Amino acid sequence: MLASFIDSVRYVGHLIPVAFLRIFMGYYYLQQAMLKFNGDFLARPRLAAQIADVLPGLNAPVWYKILTERIVIQHWQAFALVALGLEFAIAISYLFGYVVRPMAFIGLLISINYLILAGGSSDELYRTFIAIHFMMAWVGAGRCLGLDYYFFKRRRGVWW
Amino acid sequence: MKHFFVFLILVFGGLIAAILFRQNQDPTRDARPVLRIYAPSSFLKAWGPGPWLKEKFETSCECRVEYHDGQDAAALVERVKSEPKSRAADLVLGFNQYDLEIAHKGMEWKAIKVDSQNFDDTVRPLLSRTSFIPYDWGVLTFLAHKAEVPVLPKTLDDLLNPDYAGAISLQDPRTSSPGLQFLLWLIQIKGEEEGFQFLKKFAPQVKVWGANWSTSYGLFQKHQAKITFSYAASVVAGIQEDPLSDIVALPFAEGHPLQYEFLGIPSTCQNCDLAEKFVGLVLSREGQKVVMEKNFMFPVIHQVMQDSPFDKLPQFTTIDMTVIPNLAERERILKKWSQLRRAE
Repeated sequence: MLASFIDSVRYVGHLIPVAFLRIFMGYYYLQQAMLKFNGDFLARPRLAAQIADVLPGLNAPVWYKILTERIVIQHWQAFALVALGLEFAIAISYLFGYVVRPMAFIGLLISINYLILAGGSSDELYRTFIAIHFMMAWVGAGRCLGLDYYFFKRRRGVWW
Repeated sequence: MKHFFVFLILVFGGLIAAILFRQNQDPTRDARPVLRIYAPSSFLKAWGPGPWLKEKFETSCECRVEYHDGQDAAALVERVKSEPKSRAADLVLGFNQYDLEIAHKGMEWKAIKVDSQNFDDTVRPLLSRTSFIPYDWGVLTFLAHKAEVPVLPKTLDDLLNPDYAGAISLQDPRTSSPGLQFLLWLIQIKGEEEGFQFLKKFAPQVKVWGANWSTSYGLFQKHQAKITFSYAASVVAGIQEDPLSDIVALPFAEGHPLQYEFLGIPSTCQNCDLAEKFVGLVLSREGQKVVMEKNFMFPVIHQVMQDSPFDKLPQFTTIDMTVIPNLAERERILKKWSQLRRAE
């Protein structure tokens, strides 16, 4: 595994800048997830309050509004746990370069939802994140300085 | 694909294990009932009345008081509504008279019995609404640094004096309760059309429309503004901070608006009896004294203010603002205010 890690620099070394961005994003997600874990994100309906706040003026399909109002707000604790778990998963995945492609798609979906629900204040941030996650998935950013290269070499396929 | 799912399962497993571990390590876990109180930050901060009330209440209630920081009324109500039954709010503090309509929207509140309390005459008319009880009140007025404002304004029109150009800090009425009070006061005194005409002329006098009271008052404290709109009792805070303070509250001939702060018990409360006992503490003479001294607002109970620095403040003529424009009407007025600002 270590040999393939070094190999990754030799064969896909041109992706090092992307690997840097990936690790930076991983660190950012880890920081955010730790803040939520150590704060009251799981204990207080922060997510539900934020959604309830923007929902009346939300320019989104009716089914999406109904889904968030009836399911996400009502079961905010489960959704807060899922959101936090996925943030940790993205963080670990990006930091170690493991299963980066599927996790980038998850990151993309999370960013799209946050973009819709952020209420305008963080629009630019989430737009940028969508572009970054999309790029991570496209290039397979875990193949450089990441564990994905090891699996890519042995198994090939679109997941690495 | 298998790797991906195993990875997710491991991450979520780890997270759940960490949460369970943290819960087991939590020293605050005990069997005592929990009284969940939602209140504004100013009430809960170390310098506010919240910590004292909590400590005092916990010595006798055999319960644990859990404070939750609420922001503005709309967010507060949404939070209270979205809490699951097991974590429902038992008591909410911090609504002003303009928030009550929002608080009533989609929420039921319990009637609170306060017959035994000797309320001050100023708040008595507000007691007809039994679901929200006032726990403090304040007079809003302009404050000035006496050394920097040799001729003190006595009327709203005096504020148009060119000497005060760029010297007044105010609050944005869209985001600040005193800011809204100022706008509604102006409209009540002058009428809507004339009030907005006044605002047009008043624009050059304003240094800043702060997003909240702290911003505009902070500028005033730092002498970046000579005059600010605030609570009359802020003078007492100024003197406590600096005995040589030259801050004076200005009595205006037009009369002054009042702001009341209310508390309410949601009908979904889990420890309703404890909530009522806590209300009793807030409205007790001792509790009111603490609220007065730490919140810098006037007490609602008769004679609590006696022999305190608050009692030495000048007497302000107040105006009747009990007829409160409804939410839609306020939104219309605020829209008009925004348009006026954009046109500046």
